[in-house]
Amino acid sequence: MTALILDKFGVKAVIRWALALGAAAVAFGLLVLTKGANPFSVYSSMWTAITSSASFDGVFLKATPLILAALAVAVPAKAGLVNVGGEGQLVVGGVFAMGANLAVDGRMSGMAVLVVMCVAGAVGGALWAAIAALLRLAVGINEAVSTLLLNYLAINLMTFLIFDRWKDRNGSGQPASRPIPVVDRFPLLGNSKVHAGLLVAVVATGLVWWLLRSTRWGFQLRVVGGNPEAARRAGIRVGGTLLSAMLVGGALAGLGGVAQLAGAEFKLRQGFLLTYGYVGFLASWLARHKPINVAVAAVVLAAISITGDSLQLDSSLPAATVNVLMALVLLAVFGWTRVKAAAA
Amino acid sequence: MLAAACGSNGNDTGTPAAADGGSSSDAAPGQGSTAVGFIFVGPKDDVGYNQAAYDGAMAVKKDFPDLKVLTQENVPETDEASRIMETMIAKGAKIIFATSYGHLDPAMKVAAAHPDVVVVQQGNFIKDTVPANTGTYFGTVYEPVYLAGIAAGKATKTNKLGYVYAFPIPQTIANIDAFELGAQSVNPKAETYVVNTSNWCDPAKQAEAAKSLLAQGVDVLTQHQDCTGTITKAAEAAGAMVVGYHADASSLAPKGWVTGSEWDWKAMFEDIVKTALDGKFTGSKYNANFRSGLKDGLNPFVQSKYGPSVTQATKDLIAKAATDIAGPGSPFKGPVVAQDGAQLFPAGKVPTYAEIEAAATVFVKGVVGEIPKG
Amino acid sequence: MTLPIEVLTGAVRGGTSILYASVGESIAETAGVVNLGTEGSMLAGALAGYAITANTGNPWVGVLAGAVAGGALAFVHAFFVLHRGANQLATGLVVLFLGLGLTSLFGAAFVSRQIHSFTAWDVPVLSKIPWVGEILFQHDPLTYLSFVLVPVTWFVLQRTGIGLLVRGAGERSEVLATYGHDVRLVQYLAVVTGGLLAGIGGAQLSTAYANSWFENMTQGRGFVAVAVVIFAARRPLAAMGGSYLFGAALALSPALQARGWAINQFALDSLPYLAVIVVLVLLGKKRAAEAPEGLQKVFELSTS
Repeated sequence: MTALILDKFGVKAVIRWALALGAAAVAFGLLVLTKGANPFSVYSSMWTAITSSASFDGVFLKATPLILAALAVAVPAKAGLVNVGGEGQLVVGGVFAMGANLAVDGRMSGMAVLVVMCVAGAVGGALWAAIAALLRLAVGINEAVSTLLLNYLAINLMTFLIFDRWKDRNGSGQPASRPIPVVDRFPLLGNSKVHAGLLVAVVATGLVWWLLRSTRWGFQLRVVGGNPEAARRAGIRVGGTLLSAMLVGGALAGLGGVAQLAGAEFKLRQGFLLTYGYVGFLASWLARHKPINVAVAAVVLAAISITGDSLQLDSSLPAATVNVLMALVLLAVFGWTRVKAAAA
Repeated sequence: MLAAACGSNGNDTGTPAAADGGSSSDAAPGQGSTAVGFIFVGPKDDVGYNQAAYDGAMAVKKDFPDLKVLTQENVPETDEASRIMETMIAKGAKIIFATSYGHLDPAMKVAAAHPDVVVVQQGNFIKDTVPANTGTYFGTVYEPVYLAGIAAGKATKTNKLGYVYAFPIPQTIANIDAFELGAQSVNPKAETYVVNTSNWCDPAKQAEAAKSLLAQGVDVLTQHQDCTGTITKAAEAAGAMVVGYHADASSLAPKGWVTGSEWDWKAMFEDIVKTALDGKFTGSKYNANFRSGLKDGLNPFVQSKYGPSVTQATKDLIAKAATDIAGPGSPFKGPVVAQDGAQLFPAGKVPTYAEIEAAATVFVKGVVGEIPKG
Repeated sequence: MTLPIEVLTGAVRGGTSILYASVGESIAETAGVVNLGTEGSMLAGALAGYAITANTGNPWVGVLAGAVAGGALAFVHAFFVLHRGANQLATGLVVLFLGLGLTSLFGAAFVSRQIHSFTAWDVPVLSKIPWVGEILFQHDPLTYLSFVLVPVTWFVLQRTGIGLLVRGAGERSEVLATYGHDVRLVQYLAVVTGGLLAGIGGAQLSTAYANSWFENMTQGRGFVAVAVVIFAARRPLAAMGGSYLFGAALALSPALQARGWAINQFALDSLPYLAVIVVLVLLGKKRAAEAPEGLQKVFELSTS
């Protein structure tokens, strides 16, 4: 997998990456050793776990919203914006899509509803991100700060709704919305457990790659991200460009929320896409915001997180221990795979 | 955009998707399984719900030495649970216990995709037709909770009892109602004050809920949380009494412990496993919303031991009530009146387990607090 | 107890862990380093505090261990940010996941352990003052310690040479360097001190408030602390107010419920966040200009 991320690097970089990842793997191995587990058998069962067909599906199922959450970070980053709000934008995407499904309420069904839900979710995510963009442009509040705060508001908004207006009266009493009707869901791909939301994520990745690389908008984004003052002098409307970057980012995350809702979860409930936004953020930074690489990084992080299942089932270690492996890999990449930047 | 090779995603009604995934469908669900999987929403040693279920899993492990027992803790009540059950199935499990209330949706999803796998869920209720390879199981735990309510009603000096619960689901509401009815049966002035935490185990929220109830003059606390240590210790530290739930936490409150209700899943888990292994699951009593309690003698719970303050007279009252419930009586024997004065069960009526679960949407008179709207 | 007193008491009780973390984060941010890993430091502090209390029987030793654990995670953050030039926000999140993973791994053995926790200790005389006594002086010792911490931190940051160095590291690092001071060392110390305090906050949660350990038991309080620092613009006294505001929102729901009123907790939970945003909007431009230069740099347009 890493070979794909490395596409543009030279041999030295490959060695640096290999050493960094190797060190992370060794460090994690030593850690599990302290808990009495054999690192070799731990790694071998982790590997078996993600390559077996059931879990292989699980990787892409988990990666689907994660790819979109990561792209939601990558696009604003091109314009120099730090979007920590994927977490909230995913949830608001899900909330808008659920709202659309409730509003339609059987008057339409199937593909048409799915399209409506995708549009609603994208608009929801974009609006949520736009709040942060506008706060920055109008009042000078940094978007990293506001998107972080908006995450909690988004989660509270969803939870409020499922405890209140949207609570399924025919449900089990535990707060959740009613399910998305079967006909309105993303269909499964073939005999797999992966749903068509993955295609949305893949198409979005290609689209973002093309937009950033080959359009005037992508060019403006890069100029603004590189040097806003120069961009201004060159006649680029910096404010509008920043806003558009956040809107597109938010829309992508919103689609991620729709994908999870209509592809896997089917209901809004507590814990909906919890921490996916932050993992997406890290995937984007892991791949330095290059769209194709970002998508690959999202799949890699999904795979790592799924190996947590194996940690418990095969090695009797808590599943959440896998967060240590993920963190070590990220630290190794952040710390040792590029020319050292000037200390902040 | 989407090719025709797409399958439909999930089954609400529960008719298992036939021949989806090509599993051998000639064997009955669960028959000849080499492994059994258990998923828990919390840690296996939470002095509570998950610990009790885990102990049940370990009993299965001991008594079925040929079976591999797979367990996974801290499994969220979201679609993530589906993936973990899928992994267990890939490891040979054809019998899955999804032990948390909120695991029902993922459990049904997995069951629909694997008609050859028995998926049973603990405590929830399948409203539609129950598919051939699924079921829910639970004990009528409101019976021992009623008995504990008697002890609480006798123990309180302020006539205020406190109940910290997680979600307003039927099993919880039935417990709160039974607790209050038990207390009322010996102390007509006893009232039960309720606070919900919207979380199975958030110790900080539990601590705050306990403080709020104690501040209202509550002197006997009980709870419906998965992890029970925090509230038990909070009551003991405040010099209040505490009624346990899920597991024996008497060591955490040597002074204030009254009694409580504990799970003992061994017999039921083992019977479900055996039924499934023998290929007899479909059509069995477990292929339904199965409930058992004091009346049928299969109750998967026991009353906790008594604390030092419980008098012999109280113990005798409880023993008498227990005999009555096992025989002709019920904690909900009419008349039972709701908070708003509406009649739930008329005088003399002994409702069935199903009727009690169906009526558990409102608090009875004597409970102070509202059920969150929805 | 009347409702306002109960809620304010609950605000102090529930806000104290957040207060420690937010004072710590204020120090780090004053030196120009944001640490989103505060949540991870709190978790590490909660586990280490609980585990060491369980093993030694002494909660003070536990708190000390909690501080060390929180500081150690903050050191990881400082190392990658200051030494390896990694992005602050991304590294902070990684540190959070690191803390989550490590505490899951080493915490599993302590879920069922019991401890002799801190107990409430009424301050003589002061606790008898009507209203104020109940709200402020009937708590655990760590709460009283936080009352001391806030003015001391303010004094040190604003009125002493050390404070000048910390502020200088955040605002005018070049000047500091010119005078021969090691800017990076100052920043290291500030970030690690922030982590130590977050660790104490976590330990307060596990050994004085909830008296138990569970995986991920901080439930986002470290992020709340970061939000509080934004609200407070790195001023310890304002951080105290902000922490208690969040504490009050948590205390209001059970207090109302215990009186028989159902309330949607999540509407209440939103209020403090909305308050933070409103404050930012009202003071936005002024605040942004006041922020340490080093901090502005973090938030500036930059892609790497």
